[in-house]
Amino acid sequence: MTERNGSDPNESAIDPSIWRGLTQPRLSRRQLLSSAGTGAGALGLAGILSACGVKGVTATSGKVKPGGVGSASWWAKQKPTKTVNFANWPYYIDVLKGKHLSLEHLTATTGITVNYTEPINNNIPFYAKIRPSLAAKQSTGYDIIVMTNNSPALGYLIDFGWLTPLDQAAMKNFYKHAGPLIKNPAWDPGNKHTMAWQSGWTAIGYNSSVIKNPGTSVGILFDKKYAGRVGMMSDPQELGSVGLLAIGVEPATSTESDWAKAAKKLNQQKSDGIVRSYYDQDYITHLKNGDTVVSQAWSGDIFQADLNSKYRDLHLLIPSEGGMFWTDNMCIPMYAQNPRAAMTVMDYFYQPQVEAVVEYYNDYVCPVPAAKQVLLNPTGWAKTALKQMYPEIQLAPSVTADAPTVFPTPQYIKNSRSYYQYKSQEELTAWNNLFVPITQGA
Amino acid sequence: MLAPYLLSLPGGIWLIVLFLVPLIVMLSLSLQRCNPGTGACVMTWHWAEFGQQVSLYHAQFLNSFYFAGAATLIDLVVSFPIAYWIAFHGGNKKNFFLLMLLVPFFVSFVIRTIVWQFILSDHGVFLGTLKNAHLLPQSFHVLATGYAVIAGLAYNYLPFTALPLYVAIERIDKRVLDAAYDLYATRRSAFTKVILPLTVPGLFAAFLLTFIPALGDYVNQQVLGGTGDTMIGSVIQDQFLTQLDYAGGSALSAVLLAIALIGIFAYARLLGSRTIEEYL
Repeated sequence: MTERNGSDPNESAIDPSIWRGLTQPRLSRRQLLSSAGTGAGALGLAGILSACGVKGVTATSGKVKPGGVGSASWWAKQKPTKTVNFANWPYYIDVLKGKHLSLEHLTATTGITVNYTEPINNNIPFYAKIRPSLAAKQSTGYDIIVMTNNSPALGYLIDFGWLTPLDQAAMKNFYKHAGPLIKNPAWDPGNKHTMAWQSGWTAIGYNSSVIKNPGTSVGILFDKKYAGRVGMMSDPQELGSVGLLAIGVEPATSTESDWAKAAKKLNQQKSDGIVRSYYDQDYITHLKNGDTVVSQAWSGDIFQADLNSKYRDLHLLIPSEGGMFWTDNMCIPMYAQNPRAAMTVMDYFYQPQVEAVVEYYNDYVCPVPAAKQVLLNPTGWAKTALKQMYPEIQLAPSVTADAPTVFPTPQYIKNSRSYYQYKSQEELTAWNNLFVPITQGA
Repeated sequence: MLAPYLLSLPGGIWLIVLFLVPLIVMLSLSLQRCNPGTGACVMTWHWAEFGQQVSLYHAQFLNSFYFAGAATLIDLVVSFPIAYWIAFHGGNKKNFFLLMLLVPFFVSFVIRTIVWQFILSDHGVFLGTLKNAHLLPQSFHVLATGYAVIAGLAYNYLPFTALPLYVAIERIDKRVLDAAYDLYATRRSAFTKVILPLTVPGLFAAFLLTFIPALGDYVNQQVLGGTGDTMIGSVIQDQFLTQLDYAGGSALSAVLLAIALIGIFAYARLLGSRTIEEYL
């Protein structure tokens, strides 16, 4: 490049090509790539965005078409198979050193091998996990799943026709032995889709060494005396139901204005600083730690905690307003690969002998009242099984048999309350909009 | 000619498939309306969704900023001596000390957080002994307050701060220290006038690498927090997993992303964009 001397104005000191290069904008490779990206993005975005809707499923309310899946003729065509994939909640079946005695007995008597897994920790996330397969009309990989009746997930499954209607003719044990609380229930009239696995109460757990006189009311959860040491559940159905009980309304027959009043009471409880936190399943850890002295609790958790001498002070209180009675239900998802074998397995668990062994471990509400007699006077296989489990459980079977939280007395049945059944998605959204902000609020 | 583009193809495809496409899907979902039961999502171009979500959850956003900011500041204060010591005085055991920093990562994130429940328990090792010695009232508790959340966040994200700081400090040419001493600097002024300004880009990177993940955290608050300190991460997780409101969750995520991006660019302008390219 020639040096500029400026003496001759007519002489162009710098080569014109260099002037162009210096003064005109240059497109570097980086700029090209970034602008290409933005350009393509802008062009494609509108198209992609509008195409991103997902086609949904229409509600069929589980009606069975003649000859369709779940009808008698369809069931007649189902061949028995040798495996069943059973998905359940954790710690919900008898276990002895990694073996399940009830399942081994099942294999010995029927030849069916159960592939038992425990992937369910929460209803809705599990439902969201199996929904894509069901919407695509493919097998979920499970033949039996267990869903709670107080969760919208079970309602969705039934409404959208994603549960195989049960073969009523193959439910002999069920109809012979099932207890009144779970036969023909409100959430599944005629047991068309579900058979109860276990039930329980959501009531109040308290530490009797701190609270000497808990009283009989659900108001203990709202008592300012225990401010900062009360645990509540974060599940909107559980929280809302206890709020309704606290204002003296039956959840099953409540209205939207009742819900608003319940939400107001729960918000008051929170702003008064009474609640320590809203817990998921880990409320029991905090009751055991002493972080909370009174908490919403599940009946079986308190029973199991009491088995450990360190936590014997934890007691269950079912208030006079009532304890919410929930049921975990076995059901067969649509497109299951082993429906006939699944029916056999589900009905198998309604034998009193089998249920006695399961209940000895579970300590929730037994769906088979006759199992009580088996626990008091075990014979045959049940006797051997119970004896084998005794060293681990360290509790005489008669204690389980006599527990009213396992085999409910009429008084306990009288104090059981049902959850509200949502008639539409809008109702569920209205409920959640009232109660979820309480647990999520800052 | 084509070679540079072809070479960038694997990385480019990776970014597009695993980053750009999910990002676009998320942004698109925020404008849709999803039915929680059926999972059907319909595009409604509902731009007001963003404003609605922010007004509903502005308190949780503020909580997140406060907790993440406090935890990051604590981490910076704690990590700087660690990183400085390892870089300057680690000798040939540097790798060992760096490994020690990373050892907690061998344990699951959730378990690491739950362990803090036991450490900070009302009647546990620390508080229990202090209460027995009557140095604290019986009703004193750290769990279920914001302080426990900050402690958990600071603990969980410490390696994210310490490692970038170590990298930045390690780069400093030790000879500048000698030069400073030659020019009659005291140890203190050598540190404040020479070393510290050179570590600023590292501090910048460490701040970002800690603050952004901590902002979206959802485990610490659920395990260690109480009723008033919900973070926005918990809300997003709840919307995706429990409410099955994918549209609302996506809108919140998009707002969080936008706020974080604005923050980064503003921050970068302050410290000069050259530092981003060099240290990130």
